[in-house]
Amino acid sequence: MEVRVLIKSQLSSLIDRIIEHVPVVGVKQKEGKYVYAKLDQGKEFCPDFDVTVQSPKEFIFPPRETLFDFTLGKDMQLNPHYSKDTLVIWGVHPYDIKAINILDAIFRDTHQDKHYLMRRENTFIVGIDPLRASEKSFWSSMEADKVDKGFDFILTDLGDEYIITIGTQKGRDMLDKHGVSNLASETQIKARDRVREKQKDLCLSNRKLNFPLKMLPYLLMKGEINKLWKEKAEKCFSCGSCNLVCPTCYCFDVQDEVDITLTRGERYRVWDGCLLENFALVATGENFRGEKYQRYRHRFYRKGLYLKKKYGQFACVGCGRCATACLPDIADPVDIFNTLFNSLKGVLIHG
Amino acid sequence: MSSKPKVAFFDFAGCEGDQLQIINLEEKLLDVLSQVEIVSFREAMKEHSDKYDIAFVEGSITRKSDEERLKKIRSQAKVLVALGSCATIGGINSLKNAWPSLEEVKKRVYGDKAHYFETYPSRGIDRVVKVDHYIHGCPIHREEFLRVFKALIMGVKPYLPDYPVCVECKRKGNICVFEKGQFCLGPVTRAGCDSRCVSAGSHCWGCRGLIDDPNVNAEKEVLAKYGLTVDDILSRFRIYDDYRYEEIKE
Amino acid sequence: MANNSIYKPELAELVRIEQLTEYEKLFEIALANGRESLGHLPGQFVEVSVLGVGEAPISVSSSPTRGKNFELVVRKVGNVTKVLHELRTGDQVGIRGPFGTHFPLEEAEGKDLLFVAGGIGLIPLRSFIQYVLDNRHKYGRVIIFYGCKTLPEQLFLDELKKWRRREDVELVETLDNPCRQWKGNVGVITTCFPKVKIDPENTICTVVGPPVMYKFCLIEARAQGIPDDNIYLSLERRMKCGVGKCGHCQINHIYVCQDGPVFKYSDIRGLEEAI
Repeated sequence: MEVRVLIKSQLSSLIDRIIEHVPVVGVKQKEGKYVYAKLDQGKEFCPDFDVTVQSPKEFIFPPRETLFDFTLGKDMQLNPHYSKDTLVIWGVHPYDIKAINILDAIFRDTHQDKHYLMRRENTFIVGIDPLRASEKSFWSSMEADKVDKGFDFILTDLGDEYIITIGTQKGRDMLDKHGVSNLASETQIKARDRVREKQKDLCLSNRKLNFPLKMLPYLLMKGEINKLWKEKAEKCFSCGSCNLVCPTCYCFDVQDEVDITLTRGERYRVWDGCLLENFALVATGENFRGEKYQRYRHRFYRKGLYLKKKYGQFACVGCGRCATACLPDIADPVDIFNTLFNSLKGVLIHG
Repeated sequence: MSSKPKVAFFDFAGCEGDQLQIINLEEKLLDVLSQVEIVSFREAMKEHSDKYDIAFVEGSITRKSDEERLKKIRSQAKVLVALGSCATIGGINSLKNAWPSLEEVKKRVYGDKAHYFETYPSRGIDRVVKVDHYIHGCPIHREEFLRVFKALIMGVKPYLPDYPVCVECKRKGNICVFEKGQFCLGPVTRAGCDSRCVSAGSHCWGCRGLIDDPNVNAEKEVLAKYGLTVDDILSRFRIYDDYRYEEIKE
Repeated sequence: MANNSIYKPELAELVRIEQLTEYEKLFEIALANGRESLGHLPGQFVEVSVLGVGEAPISVSSSPTRGKNFELVVRKVGNVTKVLHELRTGDQVGIRGPFGTHFPLEEAEGKDLLFVAGGIGLIPLRSFIQYVLDNRHKYGRVIIFYGCKTLPEQLFLDELKKWRRREDVELVETLDNPCRQWKGNVGVITTCFPKVKIDPENTICTVVGPPVMYKFCLIEARAQGIPDDNIYLSLERRMKCGVGKCGHCQINHIYVCQDGPVFKYSDIRGLEEAI
């Protein structure tokens, strides 16, 4: 991968030049937190954020997205909607890039989702290696402290300059166009690698899985005892917050909306969550996960086992957003997976 | 007979703010009017007829003598829709229910004329008659009114979310009110408002009532964690939904 | 990248509508343009759109051997099916699919077939039964257990009549709550099992019915000695997309819309929440 270099003080003017050509959303401060929002000027970008409230998922998989519009009556017409808008997302941490890679795999699989893929194709991902980790982060344990794909280019802060590692031709073209052409030296590349090696130490020491990650699916397979799930789920609001802030959760509901003349309308999808009470309810009244603990359990299994089986990747990147969002504090994967490990240690050693 | 459904609006104890929201639909109101025939709408017209298919009822029932009028409306209407918090859950009028005595409440409001007035605990209209559909909110969300209205003229059941406001907050990318060190009833309150209050910088007041299966104990625990006393918590729960709260608090 | 949206239905026309019971209607559907036929196999389902109201997964009730149109039998339970019931011949609906797995048409060749249908479970099973009867020489005995709560709930009365008459079909009907004119069996569907002597090792048993029925039918089928590998069932779940994306139909790592709805019992045995 080609590596370039940019003097740090030139970053905001680079963003300014890009904004002239294409809309850029980037990390900004809001009420003491960080969020992705439209950048009007390069200097608004906060490079030293710990984590954003929502992941950049919303820009490639919007919370509400029209799938097609239609006319009603004798001669029905159906017209699918695909976004053609180009967007740059400026400042995505490796764990969130990894999450996007997981979404890519899911929406590319078998029946390709053109709505997602078009948007994804028109989105530039500008990564940034983290300088800080949030209080709840545990991305090191999820092996998401660095990424080698999924970005168009990624910035690494070396103090006085940014090392820019190019990931795609699209990224290279953008840098060429805006005059970022200086190649990084061997020494600079080595310095970047050293910085990246240290990134995994940014997560707090108490935010670690106490076992090797590859053991996680086995833990879950052995841990189907419902005691833990029932105990924790007692406090669950069924509010779906853990789902809705997750950068890899992609479940959706589909609904129709007609306009007031009842002659046309649209079908749209909207973010859903498997923790919500009626997620598995069918029209005949049967709820296939009617109990809180079943829904609560399902999420952890999906993160650590089901999607791993299906797509070969864990559907958790350790961003810690669920742990932050959950008011009764029962959604933290570190807590649950370590508890599971502790309760099964004996079984695993002897079994 | 016109083939358009006949629609009537009625009000009991309330500020008529929900009917005002409908008038505030402005140009969309014309589209609404073209789909139906409005036969009674005190907020907007003089005429009145007792022949209607769909009745929208605003306001809570707060005295015994209102029950009869409501029952009559129910018997005329094919479909009865509760409009706004007062009608759906008792609403802000329920504040008086928490007072030690309603006599005292009357005195507070009417002074030495109190003996001219009757009152009893404020309640949603479904405590008196069967309600087919609910449009929650104080005031109602105009978009939601339109959604329900369209469903009714299409002859299908309107969609009413049975998940808490948190869902809409998260879809909007709002920063959680609790994270800002404040309190919120969002985790136990029915969504459908598009998390209006939180999105505008406030917190959820619970005006849409509790979801069907609210985890009130967990909410109490969370609120207590944020330094609220039991009394604080109770008073927040009771602002809009006194009856339901009395039922689920055990 | 895919050429088109996986969520956009194609238009199809309702060419025949028949009221089967108080709550069920049969719709014969012709694809409006493009494809010659649906190209489904028995057991698969389609997503049916009533535009403006929504979409619902419905299993195809007719066999592909019965011509280029296909039939759906729909119970009126929610908004989509309610409005579908109000449509008339000539009206259009949207169709996506066929989706999902199918009944074991090939595995069952040369074997005896036991169909266990509880109530509306006969709707998808009818597709398989028709297929087998249209290829009668390829299969051994055809045994059908059909249980309903009451007589008016019985579906496909003309076909039942024909099946009763056929010598190469063994039909056992039962009612939970019989009426006076009922002369058949009384009791839940599991009471049919002792009525017929089967060769368990050589029998493919396919069970479709409401969720509560499976547990008891499985116990009974296994008690008869039918190996788990020979038992198939079709599971119902909430589905929104039909293409393995929306997550609603997931049972553990399985997506019912993709890995099902037809499952071999031995593949889902012990799976939490499945049965």
